[in-house]
Amino acid sequence: MADAQATTDPTPCFHCGEPLNGEDRFAVEINGVSKPMCCPGCQAVASLIAGSGMAGFYDQRSAYNERPEQLIAAPAESFAPYDDPQLAQLFLRREADQQWHASLLIGGMTCAACTWLIEHTVQRLPGVASANVNLQQGRLDVRFDRDQLPCSALFTAVAALGYRVQPFEANARREQLALDYRQDLRRLAVAGIGMMQVGMFGVALHAGDIQGIASEYQGLLRWVSLIVASFVVIFSARPFFQSAWQHLKQGALVMDLPVALAIGLAWVASGWATLSGTGQVYFDSIVMFTFLLLLARFIELRSRRRDNGNWLDAQSQLPVTVTLQKENQWVQVPRLQIQADDRLLVTAGSVFPADGKILVGASAAREDAFSGEHLPRDIAPGDSVFAGTVNIESAVEISSYGTYADTRLAALQRSTESGRQGKPRLAGLADRLASRFVAIVLLVTAATAVFWSQVDPERALWISLSVLVVSCPCALALATPAALANAAAALRNAGILVHGDNALEALARTNHLIFDKTGTLTHGDLTVAKVIAISGQDAAEALALAGSLQQYSNHPIAEAFSDVDGKRQVESADYRIGAGISGVINGVTYRTGSVEFCRELCPALPQPPTISDYWIALVSEVAPIAWISLNDPVRESAAAVIQWGNAQGLTIELLTGDSSGQGPLLAEQLGISEVRAGQTPEDKLAHVSQLQTAGAVVTMVGDGLNDAPVLGRADTSIAMANAADLTRAQADLVMVDADLQIIPIAFRKARQCRRVILQNFAWALSYNACAIPLAASGYIAPWAAAVGMSLSSLLVVGNSLRLNRPVR
Amino acid sequence: MESLYFLIPIALLFCIVAIKLLLWAIDNGQYDDLDKEAWRVLVDEEAPAPPPEKETEEPPR
Repeated sequence: MADAQATTDPTPCFHCGEPLNGEDRFAVEINGVSKPMCCPGCQAVASLIAGSGMAGFYDQRSAYNERPEQLIAAPAESFAPYDDPQLAQLFLRREADQQWHASLLIGGMTCAACTWLIEHTVQRLPGVASANVNLQQGRLDVRFDRDQLPCSALFTAVAALGYRVQPFEANARREQLALDYRQDLRRLAVAGIGMMQVGMFGVALHAGDIQGIASEYQGLLRWVSLIVASFVVIFSARPFFQSAWQHLKQGALVMDLPVALAIGLAWVASGWATLSGTGQVYFDSIVMFTFLLLLARFIELRSRRRDNGNWLDAQSQLPVTVTLQKENQWVQVPRLQIQADDRLLVTAGSVFPADGKILVGASAAREDAFSGEHLPRDIAPGDSVFAGTVNIESAVEISSYGTYADTRLAALQRSTESGRQGKPRLAGLADRLASRFVAIVLLVTAATAVFWSQVDPERALWISLSVLVVSCPCALALATPAALANAAAALRNAGILVHGDNALEALARTNHLIFDKTGTLTHGDLTVAKVIAISGQDAAEALALAGSLQQYSNHPIAEAFSDVDGKRQVESADYRIGAGISGVINGVTYRTGSVEFCRELCPALPQPPTISDYWIALVSEVAPIAWISLNDPVRESAAAVIQWGNAQGLTIELLTGDSSGQGPLLAEQLGISEVRAGQTPEDKLAHVSQLQTAGAVVTMVGDGLNDAPVLGRADTSIAMANAADLTRAQADLVMVDADLQIIPIAFRKARQCRRVILQNFAWALSYNACAIPLAASGYIAPWAAAVGMSLSSLLVVGNSLRLNRPVR
Repeated sequence: MESLYFLIPIALLFCIVAIKLLLWAIDNGQYDDLDKEAWRVLVDEEAPAPPPEKETEEPPR
């Protein structure tokens, strides 16, 4: 299965499916065949899987694994704090002597085979009694003996397989979702069995209507139908009544209202017919309608809830434990214990656990979470740092300002929640139709009743009731969920997951498409763009020299040089924070870095060639050598997508936190007419709300933590594959790959979905338009109503299935 | 046709038993993960070979 999905790239990484870029430095032998790997992380995971006899996993999986980044970022020791009894309380429960139950939240499971791999790996650990993975919730439940197996070993074992793992903390919203899911399933089960039973009685009754039936048996069959149907109506159809009533109280007419009316009135009428032994019963239609509608809604909801990361919040990326000074000793404590004025030690490469002021040390902080800028800010004693940003260069001591609730990150999360609440509710097509539908049906029923009471008063009641039953909006109510579920399934296969409530409808109606810059339109990593040699120096040589020096820095700039060939031996390399690197190569002293830093060694260094680009210098003690410009390359697919958007008549905007000149430059290059640079998350939020007030329907595409509030606010939002956890949780659609080409596909599918919904409505309404006059003139028997309802529903479902075809 | 008075209650009884069973299975969590179970029934359950350095498997409970 895994081989079948090899995409355009001839040989992608066997483990994660990312292109190898022509490199074949890593490989793992799996089932006797050497398979290429893209990075040490994939190599380590794959060799662990193959080495433990689990290579069968690769034959069974249906999707590539995630690229295991955490493996490098989180060594085994980092899980040690979970052995702390206080912290373990979060996810550990004692079930019996020697028997503990732990719940872990697992990220990066891409297909069902992952559950097999994790379960079998964990079951082999000593002391584990059982391990069960729930793919839908991304959750691992383990029963084990804590004396034989420390908790940290569980975390380490799962992390070693390349999955992201953290404690599964009880959370009210998540519990509620799980309960709702079971309740939906219960209702569906009862409706299903009830439908079969009542359907059987219904066939007998319809046959009796046609052939003749003794009134004794007709009464019996009606009574048992009444009992079963009543149970189904009261137990299974309750959500329709609840929703219709709640919306009615607020003055809103939704699709659930005609549904509840149809079920309720048909049930009352049939019940009266049973009690009085007159008229007609429609129990089979009632339960069938309830079941079909519950089924369609269940499928639609499930397609959206799948791999939904909505439990992730901004805190999930902060470290679990921190190093805190207590009575002149550094101790590890859980992060939640941080108080104001605590003294914390933050090592290089780790995330600041709290907002605070630098006391000792100088470093640089990467704050792309808040600003979207990828170049770090230099920090020195007295400067403020913020929770969620990364300390890059060296260890610092900070004094915290307060607890998590006081941090800027928490404020961002709060503004995300308020953005979400402010999200305009686009009334769905179905709901807008519902109110008119109800009005027309009631009018026709009233007219029928008045007419027949003049002509034939005895039949008036039953004919008016048959109008209500025949107008049962089954196909109308099925039209939307059936189409949405199928469109979501097709998009999932194409590489974008639909989570949002109204995402596809809003996407189809979008007229404003807004992009974030860094990480969305660009790759989000710095690369070497240009090397300009100064006065007769060799550019390739200069790049090799700079690359050799950059090995001694852990600044993000250094990553741009990691692929440079021909690196030299450097002696007495010295890295100066916030400035650059100096070192001796073949007896000559070189420096690379900022202009000031290089001028100290070589005053002859001229001014940088341009102002707009980001330049670093390379000099030797003898002469200036080169200017090297760095940029964040634009994604290959960006230009095509912008061009497509412009051709579609969408207003395209660039909304970036980056305040440098890069934003407008990029916009000009790609043909984006409107640019706003230097925007804070709050600015972005305000801008989008302003557009919405002016009547725009906004789709926002973003990736950073700073985009989370605006993604929550926009009518519909798309998160990039590599987006921050909170951002993914907010987005209505989440990309699986980093290819922007999926956006036009999603738009096309959304519009196609809207067309299918409209066709479904047209069909359902024209069915009603034919059936209602017939019923009003007294020609429709209960069996004909049941057959008509099922056929029109089937047609709607069949039409919606067309959406399931793969997208081109 | 009098048998109807006997057979229909039996049918209803079966119906009640089926609903009870289904509700029990749902509450027992057997339908919590439709994706995994749908995949699992199709796989030839082949327990992975134990790693060479381990002597005994933990007995499943």
